[in-house]
Amino acid sequence: MEDDDPSFATETLDPALQKKHHDMLERLSARHQARKSDSPDTSSSSSTLESTSSFLAKFSDARRSIESRIAESRFVSSSSASSSTDPSKHKSDLADISVAINDLEKLLAENSYFLPSYEVRSSLKMVSDLKQSLESLSAELIPKKKFSFKSKSTNKKPEPKLPEIQKPDVVSPPNFLVPVRDSPGLRNKHGETLVKSFKGSSIGEFTLSDLDSCQVQLTGTVNALFLHRLKNCNVYTGPVIGSILIDDVEDCVLVLASHQIRIHCARKSDFYLRVRSRPIIEDSNGVRFAPYCLDYKGIEEDLKTAGLDEETNNWANVDDFRWLRAVQSPNWSVLPGEERVSSVSISSNADS
Amino acid sequence: MGLLSIIRKIKKKEKEMRILMVGLDNSGKTTIVLKINGEDTSVISPTLGFNIKTIVYQKYTLNIWDVGGQKTIRSYWRNYFEQTDGLVWVVDSSDLRRLDDCKMELDNLLKEERLAGSSLLILANKQDIQGALTPDEIGKVLNLESMDKSRHWKIVGCSAYTGEGLLEGFDWLVQDIASRIYMLD
Ligand SMILES: Nc1nc2c(ncn2[C@@H]2O[C@H](COP(=O)(O)OP(=O)(O)OP(=O)(O)O)[C@@H](O)[C@H]2O)c(=O)[nH]1
Ligand SMILES: [Mg+2]
Repeated sequence: MEDDDPSFATETLDPALQKKHHDMLERLSARHQARKSDSPDTSSSSSTLESTSSFLAKFSDARRSIESRIAESRFVSSSSASSSTDPSKHKSDLADISVAINDLEKLLAENSYFLPSYEVRSSLKMVSDLKQSLESLSAELIPKKKFSFKSKSTNKKPEPKLPEIQKPDVVSPPNFLVPVRDSPGLRNKHGETLVKSFKGSSIGEFTLSDLDSCQVQLTGTVNALFLHRLKNCNVYTGPVIGSILIDDVEDCVLVLASHQIRIHCARKSDFYLRVRSRPIIEDSNGVRFAPYCLDYKGIEEDLKTAGLDEETNNWANVDDFRWLRAVQSPNWSVLPGEERVSSVSISSNADS
Repeated sequence: MGLLSIIRKIKKKEKEMRILMVGLDNSGKTTIVLKINGEDTSVISPTLGFNIKTIVYQKYTLNIWDVGGQKTIRSYWRNYFEQTDGLVWVVDSSDLRRLDDCKMELDNLLKEERLAGSSLLILANKQDIQGALTPDEIGKVLNLESMDKSRHWKIVGCSAYTGEGLLEGFDWLVQDIASRIYMLD
């Protein structure tokens, strides 16, 4: 992922590249014209499908041609008797391939607005893979100055020192000039039951962090909720109007409702969700999902306030950002009915 | 004719501007784009890739590229740097814990040569949330004053929910780009 564009790809003075850019801009403006003249409601599924499949056909043709050019260059270089083929020839081949990859990427970019997200993701991945193979090809064809050990030192030193891996610039820890205040929240607790009601409070964002073996009950609505480093906790919350951001939870049961729910670095945890958009996970595994099941006095009204009074069944439409294939991600599953907790009732008149 | 003059010529005809929106995940990029375009913002999923919106703004056509900010997607950002006229960096002003991530990612972005000529608008979003940092505070944390002198930049507080601040921000951005690209009009 950290691969860099081959440097010659960004050279803008190359006339061939100029032309490509020019053509690209032409295409862009042509597309705008085409879209402007479209009637506003052309989003019938058949036309989308038509475009998606024609995009995929075009994309995979171009991709195959790039792959075979990479293979060809590699073959030519390995089969030619001497490896001393003119390096500038190699360079121009590589530059051509690189231009082709950039074009492929632009094709994807221009069409992404109608493509299903899975296609966008897998196509992005393919482009990135092509760049990777181009890079390794260029490393093969145009080797850097060979590292060689001086014969002088070989008898004295049995193990030559390996070239030191260069560390990336260490980013100095940010030095906050403003005393960054902590947001309201519950932090650093162990083995406690923590209860909080937002009813009538003006709290906008709330944080739960560094909790171990706690039971947390939050009632009423809030705009944003952050959960950070929770272990072995049960968390029950009323509806959140904006989003819930979760980072680093393990062995937890979380009953949550929100507009958006984003889960990072979760392990072995069960989520009971009501959510308006698709919940997402990243860098997580062993997480299971079930529908929201919380009850307290006044929850109906709170759900309405947050626009979450309807069950959307989105709790099961989980997107795993680390998983690029169409088959089910191994990192999450639907919690089997017989293992689900039945409705959880909590009290709403907690002190606030 | 050099590449830049070709681009300018075509852009001039179309009065097009290319705007790249980036920022950490959850900062509100997609919500902002839909809000300025007058669309429904009540059901938005985290962006798995990117969206392109073409918006006519004053007498210009903005091509807005909204790229996902989840960790997995950030490595793709650089695929969209080319020919960017305006860069919009969106900050969740209520996410105090990740401000250092936010600063680090912005610093990396600003090192990028291909973005060197673009105007930078920083949107301190979610100002409607009680307890959010003010644009001034965000500016200090991000250490904006120490930015390269040649960069045109501005920070504006906004809320994608109420719409407050969005026009102010985009007005500045569009004017700033226009004054560089369409100077000769
Ligand atoms: N209170 C409040 N919430 C906001 C605001 N803008 C966005 N949100 C909420 O913040 C969450 C994230 O918004 P998105 O627009 O999906 O964020 P994004 O930056 O596009 O995220 P990625 O696509 O993952 O990069 C959603 O739940 C929004 O409803 C705002 O101005 N105020
Ligand atoms: Mg988004």
